[in-house]
Amino acid sequence: MIAFDRVSLTLGSFRLKDVSMTIGQGDYYFIVGPSGAGKTVLLEAIAGLHLPEHGRILLRGEEITALPPERRGVALVYQDYSLFPHMTVADNVSYGLRVRGMERDAARCEVAGLLERFGLGHLADRYPGTLSGGEQQRVALTRAVAVKPDILLLDEPLSALDPITQERFIDDLRRLHREDGLTIVQVSHSRRETRLLATRMAVLIDGRLVDEGRADVVLNAPKSREVATFVGIENILDGTVTANEDGYAVVDAGGRTFEAVTDAAAGEAVTLCIRADDVVIGNGGGARNTMAGTVVAVVEDGPVAGVKVDCGVELTAVLTRRSVQDLSLAPGTRVTVAVRAAAVHVIRSLS
Amino acid sequence: MATKTGTFSGDAEIVSWRGDRGRQVDRCIAWFSIMGAAIVGLTVLAIANIAMAELADPAHLLEVAASPVVIGSILLTFLAGANAVLLLVLFGTPLAYVLARSRPSRLKGIVESIVDLPLILPHTVAGLLVYLLFMRRGWLGAPLAEIGLAFEDAYPGTVVAMLFVASPFFINTMREGFEKVPVHLENVARTLGAGTFTTFRTVTLPLSLRHLYSGAIFAWGRAIGEFAGVVMIAYYPFIISTLIYYTFTTEGIRVSRSIAFVVILVSLAVFYLLRRMTRLMGRYDDRV
Repeated sequence: MIAFDRVSLTLGSFRLKDVSMTIGQGDYYFIVGPSGAGKTVLLEAIAGLHLPEHGRILLRGEEITALPPERRGVALVYQDYSLFPHMTVADNVSYGLRVRGMERDAARCEVAGLLERFGLGHLADRYPGTLSGGEQQRVALTRAVAVKPDILLLDEPLSALDPITQERFIDDLRRLHREDGLTIVQVSHSRRETRLLATRMAVLIDGRLVDEGRADVVLNAPKSREVATFVGIENILDGTVTANEDGYAVVDAGGRTFEAVTDAAAGEAVTLCIRADDVVIGNGGGARNTMAGTVVAVVEDGPVAGVKVDCGVELTAVLTRRSVQDLSLAPGTRVTVAVRAAAVHVIRSLS
Repeated sequence: MATKTGTFSGDAEIVSWRGDRGRQVDRCIAWFSIMGAAIVGLTVLAIANIAMAELADPAHLLEVAASPVVIGSILLTFLAGANAVLLLVLFGTPLAYVLARSRPSRLKGIVESIVDLPLILPHTVAGLLVYLLFMRRGWLGAPLAEIGLAFEDAYPGTVVAMLFVASPFFINTMREGFEKVPVHLENVARTLGAGTFTTFRTVTLPLSLRHLYSGAIFAWGRAIGEFAGVVMIAYYPFIISTLIYYTFTTEGIRVSRSIAFVVILVSLAVFYLLRRMTRLMGRYDDRV
């Protein structure tokens, strides 16, 4: 639907470098990356608020690089909500319709249903300054949806909300995506939001797009060590392939060997990524990589617990808190750790 | 009671601190108030001084206050000032917006210096500049005289001189107002379908109304107080400062002092009212 073709953009001391990406119709597209990576600038570039120095932006195959924002059919919701402080909630939400030439009363009628749907009906005549953060965020979202945009751009919409409001908001967003079929692009640095909502995603680090694709692929099989670290893969090990037989490789990672599925040839330097939930403590049931180790730490986090095991290299497993109790795991406990070969994602440094 | 026994010394300290609270005075504010009072006091003393003299002879004061020359001159001054401010709002607002939204550059620096120039120049120099440009043989004065617009010793001359000296006050205040409107608000308006002019009209300008208003008051105050700038190009018609100077040199201190006192009273009342009206202007973004 919208595509960036090698777009470069300088804004003060900041640069977007050679960004290429494709956002399809109906995608829930996440742009993730550390703070200062340029996510908001990228979002604003999609909206048409910055003119790229190089490269092209295409909408449904047509070049729109220099098309002004008001003609792109793209609505933007900022992290700080950016409600018009001199207008009531109803006037904020109907703003888009009014600047398109609709009469004030007609526009207010038009958005009345929308206000009800987002639970804002009773706030219609209030000014933004009197609303809570969660209410303001809903107004901002409703205002964006009111113009029936082709693409909805959200800049960290959840980061300033309390956990309960966040859950409600996530439901709203999911409904907008699934039921209204809206294409949504969301900037975030929350892994949880990404796992809950994203269908496709891009990873932006230091102005450069380092990974892009289906969300589950990027999250579980990242292209580089940098991305793996950012998406929160718990076990990242550097090693060298010592043998490869029919796609089953043996990798030496700091004294401990792992078997993994990869085409990497013997002698090649690789990085292994193993998600903590793929590390099984106890009977591995015939997994290719089974090793003995000692628990060095148990870190509880609500209903789950991370268990660090030293088995030559340190591996982190995630278990329910209950399992940790059942297995009576504590620092010093001797355990067997198992990882299926297919659960080891191999990043080839050449790729 | 436990605190009194002194079993826990921390509690005892809290008690003594609480006891002091009623008598606690912010010494910083106290000292600063004394220093500030010196400034305000100077103005109050000056006004009291003139008031004492004037109120001693109310008949004379009323006679001067009711004279058509004085009333006419005050009205003319206020009107010419308002006229200058109107032109400033019309032409200075766009300039202020450009200055607020453009990135720093050498050209911008030069424009900023030009805008501020009337602030730095001696008023006589400002008056001379205006005179040379708008006199009958001046670059702008000559062609405008052709179409019947004379500046020398005429109302337009007063307005243009006031405009020149008051312009930085309006432009800089207005610019500050525009700078306080978050660019994000404009960006959102754009994505919602508003063009740049519509965005300015519906978002940026309404949110800067308070600055527009106070900038206009500043500029107006500056304009009606001008003497040297105006007198060079338009000695006539008498604006208030010219009139006071004229009566001072021709009729002496007594009449000019009475006119001055009337002007003080009127100005004080008008500015107090205008300031009070500021609170009615515009809804502000509290986050800024």
